[in-house]
Amino acid sequence: MSTTLHHAGARPAGPGADRPPKPRPRTAGPARARLAALAFTAPAWLYVAGFYLYPLAGSVRMGFQNYTVSSFYTGVAPYVGWANYRAVLHDSHFVRTVTNTLLFTAGSLLFQFCVGLALAVFFNRAFPLGGPLRSLLLVPWLLPLVVSGTAWRWILDTDSGVLNHALLGAHLIGHPVPWLASTHDSLIAVTLVNIWVGIPFNMVILYGGLQSIPRELYEAAALDGANAWRRFRHITLPLLRPVTAVVLTLGLIYTVKVFDVIMILTQGGPAGSSQTLTTFAYNLSFQQLEFGRGAAVGNLLVLVAVVFAAVYLRATREQRRAGR
Amino acid sequence: MSRTVRLPRTSRAPAGPGTLAALTAAAALVLTACGTGTGSGGSGGGSDTLTEIDYYDAAPQNTQLPAILDECGKQVGVTIKHQQVPRAQFLPKLLQQASARSLPDLALVDNPDLQQLAATGGLVSLSKAGLSTAGLYPSIVQAGQYQGQTYGIAPGVNGLALYYNTDMFKAAGLTPPKTWDELTADARKLTHGSRYGVAFSAIGTEEGAFQFEPFFWTAGADLKKLDSPQAEQALTLWQKLVSAGSASKSVVTWTQADVNDQFGAGNAAMMVNGPWQLPTLDANKKLHFGIVPIPVPNAAAKPVTPLGGETWTVGHSNAAREAKAVKVVKCLLGHDESAKWSKDAGYIPSNQQAAAQLAHSDPQMAAFVQEIGTAKARTTELGTGYPKVSQALADAIQAALAGGTSPASALSQAQRTAQN
Amino acid sequence: MLFPLYWLLNASLLPSTDLVKSSPTWLPVHGTLQGYRRALSSQGGHLLVSLGVSAGTVLLVLLIAVPAAYGLAKLRAPGGRPLTFALLIAQMIPGVVMANSFYTAANHLRLLNSPLALVLADSTLCVPFATLILQTAMRGVPAELSEAAVLDGAGRIRTLLSVVLPVSRNAVVTASLFSFLFAWADFLFAVTLTTQDDRAPVTVGIYRFIGAHLSDWNSVMATGIIASLPAAVLLVVAQRYVAAGVTSGAVKD
Repeated sequence: MSTTLHHAGARPAGPGADRPPKPRPRTAGPARARLAALAFTAPAWLYVAGFYLYPLAGSVRMGFQNYTVSSFYTGVAPYVGWANYRAVLHDSHFVRTVTNTLLFTAGSLLFQFCVGLALAVFFNRAFPLGGPLRSLLLVPWLLPLVVSGTAWRWILDTDSGVLNHALLGAHLIGHPVPWLASTHDSLIAVTLVNIWVGIPFNMVILYGGLQSIPRELYEAAALDGANAWRRFRHITLPLLRPVTAVVLTLGLIYTVKVFDVIMILTQGGPAGSSQTLTTFAYNLSFQQLEFGRGAAVGNLLVLVAVVFAAVYLRATREQRRAGR
Repeated sequence: MSRTVRLPRTSRAPAGPGTLAALTAAAALVLTACGTGTGSGGSGGGSDTLTEIDYYDAAPQNTQLPAILDECGKQVGVTIKHQQVPRAQFLPKLLQQASARSLPDLALVDNPDLQQLAATGGLVSLSKAGLSTAGLYPSIVQAGQYQGQTYGIAPGVNGLALYYNTDMFKAAGLTPPKTWDELTADARKLTHGSRYGVAFSAIGTEEGAFQFEPFFWTAGADLKKLDSPQAEQALTLWQKLVSAGSASKSVVTWTQADVNDQFGAGNAAMMVNGPWQLPTLDANKKLHFGIVPIPVPNAAAKPVTPLGGETWTVGHSNAAREAKAVKVVKCLLGHDESAKWSKDAGYIPSNQQAAAQLAHSDPQMAAFVQEIGTAKARTTELGTGYPKVSQALADAIQAALAGGTSPASALSQAQRTAQN
Repeated sequence: MLFPLYWLLNASLLPSTDLVKSSPTWLPVHGTLQGYRRALSSQGGHLLVSLGVSAGTVLLVLLIAVPAAYGLAKLRAPGGRPLTFALLIAQMIPGVVMANSFYTAANHLRLLNSPLALVLADSTLCVPFATLILQTAMRGVPAELSEAAVLDGAGRIRTLLSVVLPVSRNAVVTASLFSFLFAWADFLFAVTLTTQDDRAPVTVGIYRFIGAHLSDWNSVMATGIIASLPAAVLLVVAQRYVAAGVTSGAVKD
């Protein structure tokens, strides 16, 4: 399937076919124009079908099957209707997992965005060494998570971790906090690290948004006597709204399915206290070998995605209308 | 060995923008079973080259095993293409290969996973192929069997024992503990400053369950009934060690390799660990340590430890390849090869006689060998139902140690989950 | 923000024994460069593989995303909304779902261990993102520009190549850069689709390196730093375009 994709991608429609005899493109016939337009999107359609829908169909099917280890070899897995979904909903971890996912996502999004915005605003003014410093802030995004996750494990360690040493030294805490080792703190810890990883993404995009706000607006507002906060409230925030929508929607989609941060730091533990839907699905599949239930959780996640995607599209449609 | 990996070996997704780890986030495993049918796998070809897979990606085993394999390949007259994947990727990879009908000719499979894999039907029966298990420890023979057939044979086995730092014990005027009470008392006395009395792994996976099972079984508990009073006794022991501060709260995040690091750095006076750590520990010249069997509830009891170790399996392909693969396994299990493997990698030979010789010549191994006689295969009670129960047990341990749940209610929760 | 980075750098320089000490070592005063030496000697080949795969991914992604974005943004292709919708959902499909089916497919097509298989798989990380970004940017290209080109008798492909693409250059750079970085950082597909060590990209290289050097954390941290350097350089160079590219369509000026 991949080879046909290439051809389709390389040659979208015959170049000569859509060249009208007279320079009156609009009358070239809507049917033909639509066909040509379709030809441009055809590779993407094929791609979606082959690379996403096909695996997804497999996952949906597996969610209805009693898929065991031997099913992998024999390919035989009896259909069990909604049993996997029922089992997942009744799983003692399910409610907590969903709550964790919500808290993790909301916390990550909020802080990533706020800190990212603050940094973007900060770097928006030119100052010496601003460029290199900004580049340095992007490194968390590029480091292999195996590596940065391990560094965080040391930092957050109860006994030898530098964070507890600093907090104890500053007399902010009386006893070392078992960041990763307590059911009360582990979710906070993984959220914290995820925020750290996610800030650069927010910063880059928001910085881009700030850069494209015309300087004259600020100058005019300054002349009118508006202070920095008012300028931020009445110029920056409204003009940044479209970018904000992009950042938050993408952030949401990516955060809901964060996997490696949690797996490296806590594996969802202790006792499921930092488990989210993705790690839950993974544990069901690979620790308990309940592949059907794992797939069911994965499918629930995709369902969540459908809802978010619909919201995003609605938002951008309004925005597009407003833009015209 | 059970899980020697240090990091949670998870599917690593990219450090993409923010969490643009996005699409690679591993959640549900879905194998569209379209791989079945055509046998186009790597095992379909000729029989001059065999494929092999194992999870020994750590030094020193990661160089020792290929060397032994090459040696046996030479004897049989085949080239062996080895592949070492991290522990967490091992089972997923085997399952992928199973679904593509391209199981490797040789795989070194952890013994609690063996029955699961044998259940796929993708493995060659070694008893039918004429391999004998005479003279091996009965427990490891049993772990390699599924429905009366032998599918996996272990070149070496391992178990858990109590390592103790001789310098610290001498300084405190203590002798290594034999009973739970002594363990608790010694651990308390040895806890000092930034040093803990004892370290063990209570991580939320099979690895944590594996470490807990010696206490669980020695108390007389049974995996079929996780909420028995005996189980509660064992979990209470662990919980008290942590709540008294004799063991770090971090035990719930430590793998066995982390535990070994802590012990090696002098941050713990005792640890529960296996013989595969010996090569690393022996290399640490500043460290002086001894090894004794796992302490028991009362002086009369005998420790029952879980049997660790991997078994060689042969995947289905065609008659010629299977025959050669069986020959290679035979060579790997031969006296010299398995003795060499045991010695280099810190394993106990699965041959009872060879093990007895080792206990005699190597005092470090004596405690381990002593326990292997009574060791129990993890799949004995539950067969293919083991992974689920082990996960429930690991959860209960974590809830009791890190969440303030009482051992009794944590265990009854686990029993409910296991039956779900 | 920067402290963890410092800590990582610190760890890469410290001898491994210092890392599990009960109190942290703040400064690598007794630092060693041994970690770097070891890392460099083992990861060179993996870096090359990563480079090739990432570049290939960028090409493939652009081949699919550019025409699609053009069709969606400028030609009002029928079914545009469902396609955007599908692409958005596609971003959410759990990675393992795809990895396993790619493994089976690659096995059938005898593409295991081939960089091509990795390029195809990695492209799934970026096509939706790239299409969305390019689409937003192209929508921002003034209609008069492309209409003028058409009036001049240029076909749609010519219009795309010589008018629309240059104008949305920033978005193209952004999409390429992100594709490059995703492919560079991909681990799951890499570990699934490569079985031979010498064909593995750098993420898998590090992962195996960690496995093989359990007590050798300074080498591991050094490897991490080395592996992120090429990507960091690229990002610094291209950052100007990124800032402008991500938002060119979203912010009207």
